[in-house]
Amino acid sequence: MSNFLALARRELGVYFVSPMAYIILTALLVVAGLVFVFSVSAAAAERLPADYAPTLQWTCVVVALTSALVTMRTVAEEKSRGTIEIVLTAPVTEAQFVLAKFAAAMVLLSYLLAVTAGFALILSRYGQVDWGAVACGYLGVLLVGAVTYSAGIFISSLCTSQITAGVVTFALVILLMMANLGGLFLGPESAVAPFLQAVSLTENFGDFLKGVIDTGRLVTLLGVAAFFLFLAVRVVQSRRWR
Amino acid sequence: MIEVKDLFKAYPGVVAVDRVSFRVERGEIAGFLGPNGAGKSTTMRILTCFLAPTSGSASVAGFDVLRQSMEVRRRVGYLPENNPLYTEMRVEEYLRFRARIKGVARADRERRVGEVLERVGLSERRRSIIQNLSKGLRQRVGLADAIVHGPEIVILDEPTIGLDPTQVREVRELIRELGKERTVLLSSHILSEVEKVCRRVLILSRGRLVEQGTPEEIAGRLVRTGRVRLEARGDGRAIKEALEKLPGVAHVIWENRGELHGFAVQCADGADPRAGIFQLCAGKGWTIQELAWERLSLEDVFSILTAPPAEAAR
Repeated sequence: MSNFLALARRELGVYFVSPMAYIILTALLVVAGLVFVFSVSAAAAERLPADYAPTLQWTCVVVALTSALVTMRTVAEEKSRGTIEIVLTAPVTEAQFVLAKFAAAMVLLSYLLAVTAGFALILSRYGQVDWGAVACGYLGVLLVGAVTYSAGIFISSLCTSQITAGVVTFALVILLMMANLGGLFLGPESAVAPFLQAVSLTENFGDFLKGVIDTGRLVTLLGVAAFFLFLAVRVVQSRRWR
Repeated sequence: MIEVKDLFKAYPGVVAVDRVSFRVERGEIAGFLGPNGAGKSTTMRILTCFLAPTSGSASVAGFDVLRQSMEVRRRVGYLPENNPLYTEMRVEEYLRFRARIKGVARADRERRVGEVLERVGLSERRRSIIQNLSKGLRQRVGLADAIVHGPEIVILDEPTIGLDPTQVREVRELIRELGKERTVLLSSHILSEVEKVCRRVLILSRGRLVEQGTPEEIAGRLVRTGRVRLEARGDGRAIKEALEKLPGVAHVIWENRGELHGFAVQCADGADPRAGIFQLCAGKGWTIQELAWERLSLEDVFSILTAPPAEAAR
């Protein structure tokens, strides 16, 4: 456990000594901030109650699209710099190595979301905020982040170049977001359509946005994240045998 | 103690380590010697549990590298080739982190880090960011990391590569120090390097262990046919002819230098004709200026052993 915490702390440190955390935070605040202002003023003009859902939705989109930036260096950089050799010859297991990276990325995400939650606080000063729905929405963003980050770490474990890892992760995240469109395109009689609908990040996030925690959605997102992490651990382990 | 039996490692299309067996005893400084690509780093990576062997076995400090890998890792300090470091960290921050993941108890961590910094002479640079250190200083950070958890066995892959002569001497001194209490296995493709610190040399060539022993042993074993250098005064032609008739002499090369004649006497297998040469010269009244057995340097041995097959056959 001490190992794991030491590794995770180092990983987290890297995000903040490089400009990455600040770039993502800026992107998030700009996009979510604009959406927040537009959605609230639009609602005010129509004399409708303010809706926090668009802000959450766009927060989720930015988190998913920037996950390549967060995760591309994780394993690929250790491989290209050779530092993987000093970590994995210390008494550290491959699972600790991978999970520490995931944990650090999730702590970073929680930090980013905590900052954007400021918009909800602003809203609460002038009107009614359904805190349950907001919390549920943020949980959804965290879960979507868990999926895209674990996918990114898996891709990074396959690559030696950060750039390759970043590009491939970005493409994979887009595919995961749009899988539901593929399902619609194939039509209801296709065998893969239900699967595509089930793994689509957009579909999965929709319920959380409505303030509903569906066990099926929860299990799907956590399962997909666990699956990618498992693959990443296996890939890192496989280097010993190649 | 390191024990390696029939170690074999193949990458797709390449055999990196070919049935290598050796032992390094406790408290011994052993050196891997071989040209680049001879399998030194691969063997070290197997010993440090970074890679698994294709077949064969290796045990370090009595633990098997495959089945008891965590036990091995706790007892080994390793400096990989090219000394990879987390360069964005500060020296003491990095060493504290490394001590922690290597299982140094929290209470001992600060003291251990202080000790190793002192030992490698980095105390004044403890607050520096590793990125900003010179290559020599970074190498010391790597060495400090290798010994921060007080390992029984230290494995150093090319510890002096890229350092200037002063730094090389310092590192060599440090390795000698380490060898007093620990088992050290280091690698190099520079001979003088290994000859100076290691009591035992293991020569690898194209994945095979071609020789092992002390530098003298290796040279002695390889040189079945010796060579004697003689410098004498007298009639050169007569000396040459007389020498050639001596038992144990295969061939004489005469080098006329006026008054003083030089001879390179190639001996027959296993023969040492020095006494005969002395008596011959003394009897004929030729003054001997020099009579010496030419010892093959490790350098010569190395080039013979690691020569590509075509050249070795010649």
